[in-house]
Amino acid sequence: MASCTIHTAPYSCSISRPAAKAFSLGFHQRHQQLIFFGSGRRSAVVCSAEKTVVIGLAADSGCGKSTFMRRLTSVFGGAAEPPRGGNPDSNTLISDTTTVICLDDYHSLDRTGRKEKGVTALDPRANDFDLMYEQVKAIKDGVAVEKPIYNHVTGLLDPPELIKPPKILVIEGLHPMYDSRVRDLLDFSIYLDISNEVKFAWKIQRDMAERGHSLESIKASIEARKPDFDAYIDPQKQYADAVIEVLPTQLIPDDDEGKVLRVRLIMKEGVKRFAPIYLFDEGSTISWIPCGRKLTCSYPGIKFFYGPETYFSNEVSVVEMDGKFDRLDELIYVESHLSNLSTKFYGEVTQQMLKHSDFPGSNNGTGLFQTIVGLKIRDLYEQIVAERAAASAAAAKV
Amino acid sequence: MAAASFPGAVKGLVSAKARLSEPLRGGSRSLLVLYPRRGGMALVASATPLELSEKVAESIKNAEETCAGDAASGECAAAWDEVEELSAAASHARDKLKANSDPLDNYCNDNPETDECRTYED
Repeated sequence: MASCTIHTAPYSCSISRPAAKAFSLGFHQRHQQLIFFGSGRRSAVVCSAEKTVVIGLAADSGCGKSTFMRRLTSVFGGAAEPPRGGNPDSNTLISDTTTVICLDDYHSLDRTGRKEKGVTALDPRANDFDLMYEQVKAIKDGVAVEKPIYNHVTGLLDPPELIKPPKILVIEGLHPMYDSRVRDLLDFSIYLDISNEVKFAWKIQRDMAERGHSLESIKASIEARKPDFDAYIDPQKQYADAVIEVLPTQLIPDDDEGKVLRVRLIMKEGVKRFAPIYLFDEGSTISWIPCGRKLTCSYPGIKFFYGPETYFSNEVSVVEMDGKFDRLDELIYVESHLSNLSTKFYGEVTQQMLKHSDFPGSNNGTGLFQTIVGLKIRDLYEQIVAERAAASAAAAKV
Repeated sequence: MAAASFPGAVKGLVSAKARLSEPLRGGSRSLLVLYPRRGGMALVASATPLELSEKVAESIKNAEETCAGDAASGECAAAWDEVEELSAAASHARDKLKANSDPLDNYCNDNPETDECRTYED
């Protein structure tokens, strides 16, 4: 609708030249584009009306296939799948609106290289942050890139694949917020913080069926990675706009099964376009046990907490859920008492949780808060789109 | 699913573990594992592609050897990191196999409103 001019402020215009590494191409898949080719030197001046919205997710659980990712892409609609016809071991997921990129693809050292240098994948020395910044910036500006692929099966760096700028780009991995330049590109960032006990329990569940693994090997693996994890990954928590912290339950004394979890959603205050969810009265401190006369819950029940706190010298609001959902009506009851959820209709959170009831965490705070964060991101995206539309309407009037 | 245990209650898990393994068609290794659970044992079957399964076992052995020398070295950490990476890859491969196993499930996930996929809850 609005015409694209090269010198108007609301539009981003970028000049892309083929880089020496041949990793970025001047491609655009958006409407309303103007591409000029200068005489002599090949360069393209491009104006696109929309910049990609970039979300960062820090998680230790591998890439793109994580439950959080699937819930997030489901909120936006459509299933996210690996790119068709490409490398079958690609870590990328693409849906109609969203592309999920695995930051392991930016490893500068492959598995052999890391073994030789005695460096884990968690170490910044094993990752090419310059390339990560360059490519995420390019995608954000509407330029398609040839992104390397790190093959988790072979441990090698495979030939690159083409990534076209989507509406929403999610970068998932160990270091989305490590480099300050990349951090500045993020419109929203999330950190998934699993406590040591829960991590141990989950890894046992995951690995015990594997031949060769024993309790000792699982424990040794966690212990050996801990120093690098604490030094390089954990500090990213302080930069995240939202942290989902998973802890052992306090409802069952001496619980060792890790079936019931205490999950805290820590939301930074003052983040643009992000209004933290709250319980009953914003800014107050609330302790809430929904089970009682109106709602009957089975053991151990559900306990909520809401309140303002300080987290790494940031003002935050925390909503905490301890316990698990056994029935649909518990879920809808809880949803009806939470505020600022950014749902489009009553019961949307419950519906999303039910849609993926086979996913892990669907009966506790992990699924609940992941779904809610997904809705908040959708809301953030829609706000950005509305702002751009308003800006372009204003520019058109001038 | 396996019973998750914290370090305190763990000894029973290791000593009670029993395994039967047979190669399935297509080269996946099937494991039937017994886990102690409150009130009895639970039998769980899972399949990881053979090649990955062997890589995991190999990497664990390698890590144990590397760390026997110097437990605080970078090489030791890198070796266990490789174990973690391969275990995660194996877990994803298992999930992929499980996810693709039932064609009706796959169809109904994408098309829940069709007649074949309607569910009734009374």
